[in-house]
Amino acid sequence: MPNSLIKANSMQKKYSRIFKMVCAAALLISFVLPLFAGDYYMRLISLIFIYIILAVGYNISAGFSGITSFAFAAHYGVGAYVSAVAITRYNMPFLVGLLAGALASGLVGLVVSLPASKVKHHYLALISIGLLEIVQQILNEWQWFTGGSGGMYIPSWDIFSISLNNFQKYYVIFIIMLFCVVLQRNLMKSRWGRDLIAIKNNEIAAAGVGINYSKYRIAGYFLSSILAGLAGSVYASFSGYLSPDTFNFEFTVFILLMAVVGGEGTLSGPIIGAVFVTFIPMLFNAAPDLKQIVFGALLVILPQVMPAGIAGTIKKYFKEIDNNNYIVEKTEGNEFDIERNVIKNNSEIEDILVVKGLTKRFGGVTAVDGLDMTIKRGTVHSLIGPNGAGKSTTVNMITGIDKPSEGSITFNGKEITGDKFFNLTKKGLSRTYQHVRLFNNLSVVENVAIGGRLFYSYSIIDSIFRTRKMKKEERKSFHEAMEYLKIINLNDKANYDPESLSAGQQKLLELARALYMKPDLLVLDEPCAGLSETETMEFAKIIHKIRNAGISILMIEHHMDLVMEISDYITVIDYGKKIAEGDPASVNTNPVVKTAYLGEGA
Amino acid sequence: MQEIITALSNGSIYALMALAIGIIYSTTQIINFAHGSVIMIGAMTSYWLLSIFHMNYITAIILAVIINIVLSIVIYKVSVEKLGDLTQNSGWIVTLFGAGIILDNTARMLFGTEPKAYPFLFDGKVIPIFGTKIMVHEIMMILVAVLIGALYQIVMQKTNFGRAVRAVSFRPDTARIMGIRSNRIVLMCFAISGAVAAISGALIAPITFASYTMTYSVGIKAFAAALIGGLGNTRGAFVGGLLLGLIEEIANMIVPGGFVDSISFLIMIIVIIVLPGGILSAKLFNKGELNAEKI
Repeated sequence: MPNSLIKANSMQKKYSRIFKMVCAAALLISFVLPLFAGDYYMRLISLIFIYIILAVGYNISAGFSGITSFAFAAHYGVGAYVSAVAITRYNMPFLVGLLAGALASGLVGLVVSLPASKVKHHYLALISIGLLEIVQQILNEWQWFTGGSGGMYIPSWDIFSISLNNFQKYYVIFIIMLFCVVLQRNLMKSRWGRDLIAIKNNEIAAAGVGINYSKYRIAGYFLSSILAGLAGSVYASFSGYLSPDTFNFEFTVFILLMAVVGGEGTLSGPIIGAVFVTFIPMLFNAAPDLKQIVFGALLVILPQVMPAGIAGTIKKYFKEIDNNNYIVEKTEGNEFDIERNVIKNNSEIEDILVVKGLTKRFGGVTAVDGLDMTIKRGTVHSLIGPNGAGKSTTVNMITGIDKPSEGSITFNGKEITGDKFFNLTKKGLSRTYQHVRLFNNLSVVENVAIGGRLFYSYSIIDSIFRTRKMKKEERKSFHEAMEYLKIINLNDKANYDPESLSAGQQKLLELARALYMKPDLLVLDEPCAGLSETETMEFAKIIHKIRNAGISILMIEHHMDLVMEISDYITVIDYGKKIAEGDPASVNTNPVVKTAYLGEGA
Repeated sequence: MQEIITALSNGSIYALMALAIGIIYSTTQIINFAHGSVIMIGAMTSYWLLSIFHMNYITAIILAVIINIVLSIVIYKVSVEKLGDLTQNSGWIVTLFGAGIILDNTARMLFGTEPKAYPFLFDGKVIPIFGTKIMVHEIMMILVAVLIGALYQIVMQKTNFGRAVRAVSFRPDTARIMGIRSNRIVLMCFAISGAVAAISGALIAPITFASYTMTYSVGIKAFAAALIGGLGNTRGAFVGGLLLGLIEEIANMIVPGGFVDSISFLIMIIVIIVLPGGILSAKLFNKGELNAEKI
């Protein structure tokens, strides 16, 4: 391993020791507190635990899945009322009521997040306001179910017909809270969590590594509304009395503030946020009117001055704590080569990609007009043409980002016309982008590792319990990602933020990610735009390596020297139509091509 | 008959409120979550100018409009401007929501919690049309809404300002290069939106009573109207607003009073699930390419 990583390793050890000590201290304090704290403080801390569960739920939605929702007060309320009704009216045991509340809230969440597949995320914030209002009205008006604005009482809490006192309740809530926090950590530190972070970061790039973002978003929101419902159910039995006023706009503000103060998208944020926001109002006991105004002001100011919240700001200083352990462990000694990692496709089909009569119209403009093109297996095929010729549109149609107006695309002998982007990656197609699309919330090595997400086989249960299978696969994946970083000479920057890399390095990183998807066909959209002369030459070498490993390449590029040097075959298009094709030498001397590039009479 | 007039008049005010949301949305692609509060402030300030300072209606409305313009500019300056690229950063959802909370609670402290009876235009004069008695105020609601809608449409289509707005909404950076001051255009859109909000708030307040809770009882219907019709265009706002007015009147007849808003929001959610771009994005209204707003 390079020196810098070993250094990072020791730093990591040092800080993670501090981090572990803080965690242990917090655990110990919460554990012994009820022994000497009075009843009032015990109830307060229990309440904070419930808020932590709620904040963890909201964090998974807003922080990781990128859905800002105002409806968490509603989810909390649905959970509370459903469990209360189940327990009081249907005499169900406490634990069943708990589950019923959580599930009911999850179902509501599932329904309102359905449009997530079709609309921008802020639509969901609007829908959530509607949901909050609907739930408010139902709680107030549906007398039979909720007892109306008068509220309803829930009998004392019992588990297996043992009635609990406050002291025992405290520990039950504590255990449920711990479970939720650990659940959050284990899920978010697994491939599922990385996928969610990737979607929040860059939807298109996420689809590019094969993530079906709408499904993931809905799943993320489902999970977070279940947790919010669970928090509500616990609250119902804990407080013994429910009133619709508890679940109003003011409570929504409270939830938002927990996330904003603690830090959205961090693991410890919900805990820090819940503690802080519960204590802030105590400063305003004299002037309760001011409380909401101060809350509002915090919501306005904090996202601007401290967008990462308390936890995020601390994390920035101690970046190493959160980084993945696997990368600093020892790797295998033997030399890495791409060839060993190419999935050999057994199909005998010589033409890996066949495009027939491909046409795309934007309104009245025909960007691509009846294009025919065939890419042979194992070649570097360049697509060139003047600006606005329709190159990027062609590539976008091939990779499933744009839908063709007419024509067909066949990949590996199978028709893929109109297939979704994220499905194509599974079939062996990966690409890079004209404008770099990296996941800036993930480290450099994680950016590469996410390319290998198709090859994971561990299940969600594996990641919740961090089984050996999960750990083994994660370690293997990160080791391989390191190897790919070695190819592009970035292995000493594995822990960095992608934003700190130079433009050329970012392009290379994107290439490494696409390569780690082990594609049959690699599509490169202007890989050398903005690269210096030496970087371009470096790039050419890497492309040679890839080609020799047996991966076919389709490339759009403007550097003619590069194109002529590395291409096996060139297609030239202009105004959406193919004007020439052939090997580099014949294209180079073709008069039509010269006219297109240099104008009439050139 | 009376129901239809109520649906039309309320609907046109919802349309106006949705239009104000659309004005901001069309340039910045953000939704002003403080908009309900801005409407409420418009209603409350005009009420106070009318009843405490005994001003006449026109002066009170003009002052309320000015206050709302200033307020909207402040909201933009304080909670949006510093956030940078709004398409990358969704912090504005929280900051604008927070701004709304500040406004609501300030209004509660200033104006009290008691709902106030807001005077009707022309002292609630009633004229008989087709055998039913219709308030002049309701007719004025429809007229003002249509007038403002038409005016906005003309400004957008025919003036330099309108062209600049459309340019900014399409490509803010390119517009800046072309010599359009994007920031100023956005600021002006916030101001216009605030002004329209004040007028809509003042017009609907006599029907709903004026209080700080108007944010929730009236303001959030603006979002429903905007979503049902389709965000960001005048036609969508009016289709959504009038539909919402109609839905409410129908719901009024068949469900108990407390559930009327739930029905409206339920329909909004269903519309979004079925037609993400609002009613106007249905194939019926679009020949050729689908204009529904997608990811």
